Amino acid sequence: MSAPWTRTLPALLLLLTAVCMGELLDPCGYIVPEAPVVRLGSNFTAVCVLLEKCMDYFHVNAAYIFWKTNHETVPRAQYTVLNRTAASVTFTDVGLLSTQLTCNVHAFGQIDQNVYGVRVLSGLPPEKPTNLSCIVNEEKRMTCQWDPGRETHLDTNFTLKSEWATDKFPDCKTERGSPTACTVEYQAVYFVNMEVWVEARNALGVATSEHMNFDPVDKVKPVPPRNVSVSSSEELSSILKLTWVNPSINKFISLKYDIQYRARGTAAWTQIPLEDTASTRSSFTVQDLRPFTEYVFRLRCMKEDGQGFWSDWSEEARGTTYEDRPSKAPSFWYKVEPAPAHGSRLVQLMWKTLPPFEANGKILDYQVTLTRWKSRSQNYTVRDTKLTVNLTSDRYTATLTARNLVGTSDAAVLTIPACDFAATRPVRDLKAFPKDNRLWVEWSAPREPVSKYILEWCALSDKAPCVPDWQQEDGSVRRAHLTGRLAESTCYLITVTPVYSDGPGAAEAVRAYLKQAPPSSGPVVRTKKVGKNEAVLAWDQLPVDEQNGFIRNYTIFYKTSAGNETAVNVDSSHTEYTLSSLTSDTLYMVRMAAYTDEGGKYGPEFTFTTPKFAQGEIEAIVVPVCLAFLLLTLLGVLLCFNKRDLIKKHIWPTVPDPSKSHIAQWSPHTPPRHNFSSKDQMFSDGALTDLSVVEIEASDPKPLPEELKALELFRKEKLSTGGHSSGIGGSSCMSSRQSLSSGDEAEAASAQSAASAVQYSTVVHSGYRHQVPSVQVFSRSESTQPLLDCEERPDELPPPPPPPGEGADPPPRQQYFQQSPGPAGEDPVGPGQPPAFREVPAAQGPGERLETGGLEAALGLDEGPPKSYLPQTVRPGGYMPQ
Amino acid sequence: MDLRAGDSWGMLACLCTVLWHLPAVPALNRTGDPGPGPSIQKTYDLTRYLEHQLRSLAGTYLNYLGPPFNEPDFNPPRLGAETLPRATVNLEVWRSLNDKLRLTQNYEAYSHLLCHLRGLDRQAAAAELRRSLAHFCTSLQGLLGSIAGVMAALGYPLPQTLPGTEPAWAPGPAHSDFLQKMDDFWLLKELQTWLWRSAKDFNRLKKKMQPPAAAVTLHLGTHGF
Repeated sequence: MSAPWTRTLPALLLLLTAVCMGELLDPCGYIVPEAPVVRLGSNFTAVCVLLEKCMDYFHVNAAYIFWKTNHETVPRAQYTVLNRTAASVTFTDVGLLSTQLTCNVHAFGQIDQNVYGVRVLSGLPPEKPTNLSCIVNEEKRMTCQWDPGRETHLDTNFTLKSEWATDKFPDCKTERGSPTACTVEYQAVYFVNMEVWVEARNALGVATSEHMNFDPVDKVKPVPPRNVSVSSSEELSSILKLTWVNPSINKFISLKYDIQYRARGTAAWTQIPLEDTASTRSSFTVQDLRPFTEYVFRLRCMKEDGQGFWSDWSEEARGTTYEDRPSKAPSFWYKVEPAPAHGSRLVQLMWKTLPPFEANGKILDYQVTLTRWKSRSQNYTVRDTKLTVNLTSDRYTATLTARNLVGTSDAAVLTIPACDFAATRPVRDLKAFPKDNRLWVEWSAPREPVSKYILEWCALSDKAPCVPDWQQEDGSVRRAHLTGRLAESTCYLITVTPVYSDGPGAAEAVRAYLKQAPPSSGPVVRTKKVGKNEAVLAWDQLPVDEQNGFIRNYTIFYKTSAGNETAVNVDSSHTEYTLSSLTSDTLYMVRMAAYTDEGGKYGPEFTFTTPKFAQGEIEAIVVPVCLAFLLLTLLGVLLCFNKRDLIKKHIWPTVPDPSKSHIAQWSPHTPPRHNFSSKDQMFSDGALTDLSVVEIEASDPKPLPEELKALELFRKEKLSTGGHSSGIGGSSCMSSRQSLSSGDEAEAASAQSAASAVQYSTVVHSGYRHQVPSVQVFSRSESTQPLLDCEERPDELPPPPPPPGEGADPPPRQQYFQQSPGPAGEDPVGPGQPPAFREVPAAQGPGERLETGGLEAALGLDEGPPKSYLPQTVRPGGYMPQ
Repeated sequence: MDLRAGDSWGMLACLCTVLWHLPAVPALNRTGDPGPGPSIQKTYDLTRYLEHQLRSLAGTYLNYLGPPFNEPDFNPPRLGAETLPRATVNLEVWRSLNDKLRLTQNYEAYSHLLCHLRGLDRQAAAAELRRSLAHFCTSLQGLLGSIAGVMAALGYPLPQTLPGTEPAWAPGPAHSDFLQKMDDFWLLKELQTWLWRSAKDFNRLKKKMQPPAAAVTLHLGTHGF
């Protein structure tokens, strides 16, 4: 870019000046030097010389000159006015590689006018080229190369010079693109020493390399040997003979060789010792090769004395060694298949094809011999690698040999134990692990000597059955890698069976992965049971196909919709886990990840809600509440019963029944009354007299034997005669009996009523028995209110109301007799009795006697019968109208 | 850095060795002189190399000349080639030649042959042939220099080529084309014979030179003691 500009600049200036001047074609001045090349870092001075005619025209002189570098005005301090027409500028320590320097004047004292311009180049002189080296390619020209030294920033020419003692050869000039190498035009003459050197030259100087004196034949790089061929020997399967044609240089120099070979398919070359091929030859026999193996050869050559260069490698040549007998017996194993008939078994004998380096040729067939214990052997010739035979359950010995063109291998012997043979002595400490992209199996040998080990393996899958592959290892081996093609992320079940001289031992199995991966899918979690504060999560083990590795642990993540996620690690052996400390009535999101050694995989998210109440909690609340309620009710009822009187007093105070009121008869006729009683007893069933007493004693909690009851009766009657009264109760009871007795005994009842009706009432002053009250017997009825009667005993309403003061007493008496066979005597509080009547015995308590009032015609009860008795006899008919 | 260190150690070792042997080798400058042996060997190799070159060159050139010159059994009488030096010599005479004479004869012969060959080069039309001829000439020039070197090493003066006898090759108009080709044929043939002879000469010289070289060493060794 800049170079053409440099050249055109003066021309431009010229044109410019010509235009300005109108007629002048010459420049107004010039710069000396015209094309300066300056060494970097040195000082440089340029002089501008003005022409006279211009000076006159523009009215300038050298003092008007000013300089510009790359359009920047140079400071005046660097100017020197030499004379009227010339001024110089000096630069110290030139650093720029290329500078445009112009000389200018102030025309007419004010107009800047370009006068002349030059391009100042700077750089460095060339350094002495070093490391000169030459190579003479056979049948080609000589090429030399060297290090050019530092960058000069200038056009530098390198010339390769060469000469003999007597002659000079033409110079070799480098091309622009490659200043570090040159190929001479002449053909170097061998065996004549020549001198070679390099000259570097640019505008700032010349440098010459060290001279190198050599014989071109010592720099020669021969043409590689050609027509390389390989031939094998039928006698020796371990050798190959390599022949070739030497390069033509061999006619006047001796060569040495470098031969390499490799078996086909391998990458590394094997080197034949150089000392074996240190002299000129055209063939070489390579030994110690493997039989029936293809080898690739290549070779190169150089001058025998080592001066010069190795040739390129020859073309590769291939050859195959001759066959040899198989060097090893094939791997041999068997498996028993389900027997078609009892007493026999199908045994599949199987073996592996020998690898080429053991087969040593093409295997033609296999010979199998089966020998039953102490009997003739059977021979088979098989081309396949398996043979199925039908054997008896006895022990057999199988031998196998492989045959190729040259010979037969050693025999592989296998003992097939009898059916009832129990395999023992397994290998110990079996383990499998991946290493270097292989699956290794390692074990400890059993104590007994092992002839070989059989390794079987298969990929475990739910989709496909386990199809085992197998391999055989020597008895001395303790570790081996599986030779088959294994897939990653697949579980392999590896079985190792030691084979002893008398048959196979027990197999040991182990699982392993060539390379684990995270599971394909995560475990699907579900709840087994959800409680108020806990949930039992359950999941299934991942299928083998999805595990992709050993599941080491599970992680359960659970969270509420708002809360943080909590993670729990669970051992891989579990299939359920109980989440505790949950909040009730909350939605939980659960997901679960299964981890192998290589990572984990989340299963689907699962949600569940904890219930508000725990199971049975409602029942636990409701049942006690109900029970408590029931209890309370019962208590209330009981209380009501207990406090009946009180309640009754408050709510419906007892209004004396005028119909039952009578004036108590307190008279000394009590004994006659007793007689009456006995009469009464006599009157009725003699045995039942006591029962009538029990009826009165209903309140007594202790039922007494009948004799005692009789005594009690006596006592009571005494008490009643003493102003005591259980009267109302008795009366009541009698009334009730009366009511119960219905109309059966209506006649008797009416008779009694008629008898009692004689005395209207007996008023007994209620009081304590000690205060013997004066019994006032009223002969008139105090009240004839049937209403009250009705009120007190509504159930007595249906029968026609007896005449006041009459009907009450006699019926009970009668009823006693009637009821005596019934349960009345045993159960004082009969079901038919209204509660009010039952209270009567209780009211017999001394304290209450006063309250209830002697007004009660209780005594009337006691007194009643005797009294009523009399009238009964007197006037039964008087009551007939009732 | 390592290389430099190694070099300096090597140099130091070398220096030590030299210093150790210094009292035993008074004529140090003479041991550095390789003597004529290597150059004789080189000259011998060069004759063989030239022989090899000539074989291919002659084949090409005779084909260029065309029949009958390229026929294997073509054996014309030696006519019109009197200017060429004869390589054939009586065996007894050859054996009795001394080193100086032997070398001088070789030098003179190749000087003449080279001169004739250059004329051949000028004539040849085919570019490839010219290139081969040029290379052969250069090689022959190298042989001459090599012989001169051996002679110088042995202290023999180079033969003075007389101006009158300077073989100025000129295309003789009297020569017919066939005769010219015959000259070329004989030139190549004579060259080949000379190369064979030279190989023998230098082999003889080489064998002759080896024992004296050993004797010199031995002499130096004894002198040191």
